[in-house]
Amino acid sequence: MTTPDDTAAALRDAIRSTDPRLSKFRPLPRILAHDDFNSGLHGWVELGGNYNGKGEYSSLDRHFRDFRPPQLSNCTFFDVGTHGAMSGTYALKLATRPHPGHTATGIRRLTMSGRGLLQIEAYLAYKAEAVVDPNAEDAFGDMEWDGNRHPSESQFGAFTVATDLCGDDGIRYHTVVRYQNADEDGNMLRQWKYPVVPEPTPREAWEGKVDFPYAADFTAPNPEDWRVYGEPQELCMNEVPTKVNWHYLRWVIDTEKRKNVEVQLNDQLMDWSDVPVPIYEERYGSLENLLNFYFSVRTLSGQRNFLYLDSVVISADW
Amino acid sequence: MRESQTAVLERGLTLTEEHATEPFETAWAGEARWFVQFLEPGSGEVTLRSQVSAAGLTWVDHEGDPLTVEVGGLVTASVAEFGHWLRLVVTPSEGTVAPLVRITLALKE
Repeated sequence: MTTPDDTAAALRDAIRSTDPRLSKFRPLPRILAHDDFNSGLHGWVELGGNYNGKGEYSSLDRHFRDFRPPQLSNCTFFDVGTHGAMSGTYALKLATRPHPGHTATGIRRLTMSGRGLLQIEAYLAYKAEAVVDPNAEDAFGDMEWDGNRHPSESQFGAFTVATDLCGDDGIRYHTVVRYQNADEDGNMLRQWKYPVVPEPTPREAWEGKVDFPYAADFTAPNPEDWRVYGEPQELCMNEVPTKVNWHYLRWVIDTEKRKNVEVQLNDQLMDWSDVPVPIYEERYGSLENLLNFYFSVRTLSGQRNFLYLDSVVISADW
Repeated sequence: MRESQTAVLERGLTLTEEHATEPFETAWAGEARWFVQFLEPGSGEVTLRSQVSAAGLTWVDHEGDPLTVEVGGLVTASVAEFGHWLRLVVTPSEGTVAPLVRITLALKE
C-alpha cells in the first residue's frame, strides 16, 4: 500500500531528477547543505586548533597548527591547462605541504536540530602533485612507470571523511571513514579504515595527557588504533597526476543511536553498521548539538597530496 | 556580492632564511593583498616578492616591485594581474631576527 510518505518521497525524487545540480545526489529528505564550489567556500574552512584567551600561537597543539587553508581550484595542470571541475569550473581543493605525514583539513560546522539519519555525499578526486623534473625517479614503491602505471599513484597517502558530534549532556564522539591508498613506502593498500579510539583533543593536550609532534595523524595518531574494513577497493586515479576523474561518495550515520550505517564509493556499497564508534569517556561543554563534518588528506610520501571536492550535499531524515 | 577569501598561509613561521609560501590557487580572484605580521619583537629587514606560476610548479617573479621593510608590526603589499597561482617569497637580510611571522593572503573577486 502506498503511504503519504511514499508519495512525498516519489515527488521529491521526481522534482530532484529535473535539477542537473542535485540529480547526481541521493539526499535524505531534508537537505541541510548543498555546496557547489563555483559559488565560494560554503563554510568549508581549515580546521584550527584551540588557543588560549590571549590568542597565542604557542598555546596551539603542534600537530593542530598547520592544516592549510582550502583553495578554490580550477584544476589547472602543467600539461593540459585548466581541467575544470565536474560541475562548472571550480572545486574545493585541500592541499598538504610536501612533508611526510602532513595533513590538510577542511571542516564544515553546523549544529543538529534533531536526531536520526545523517548523510554526506560528495563528488571527489585525489591526486599527488605532478612532477616535472628530468632527474626525478620513474618509480615509487609498487608503482613503476610502464605507460599505464605511474609513481604518482603510490605517492598519494590517504583521504578521510569524518564527523565531530556532541549532544545529550556533552556526549561527544567521532565517526570516521578513511581510504588508505598507499603507505609511506609506496606500497599500494587501497584499504578502507576506521579508528577505534576518539581523536585526541586540545583539552587532553592542555591537561598534559597527550602531546603529539608536528604532522602526527591527528585523527588517531597511533597506527595500531586503526582497523581495516573489508577488502581493498581500487579507485580511478587514471594513470597520471593531471587527469581528474570524479568519484561518488555517500556515507550515512545515525545520530540517534550514535552508529555508523553504510558507506558507498561508486559501485561499492559497504555495511558499516558494525563499525564501532568510540565515545569520549569525559563529557564536553560548549558543544551541545555539535555537528561538524571534515575532509582531510594526508601525504605519507612527502609529495604534496590533494583532495578535490566538486560538490557536497549534507542531508538528514529529521 | 563579490566572492572573497582570507587564507592564513603561515601561522608561526620562524624566518631564518628565504621562505616561499605554499602554492595558492587564485584563478577566481581579481584582487590580492598580502599581510605579513611579526608577532614577536625582532630586528633587521625583510624583502617581500610576489611570484606567479602557470601551473603551480614553476615560479617567476611578478613584475611588480619588491617591498623591503623593517621587521616589526604589520606590513602589507598588494599585487595585481597575478594569474592563477600566487605565492610570496620573504627574504631576510643578513642577521635579521624574525621569530614568529604570520602571513595572510586576502583575495577578492
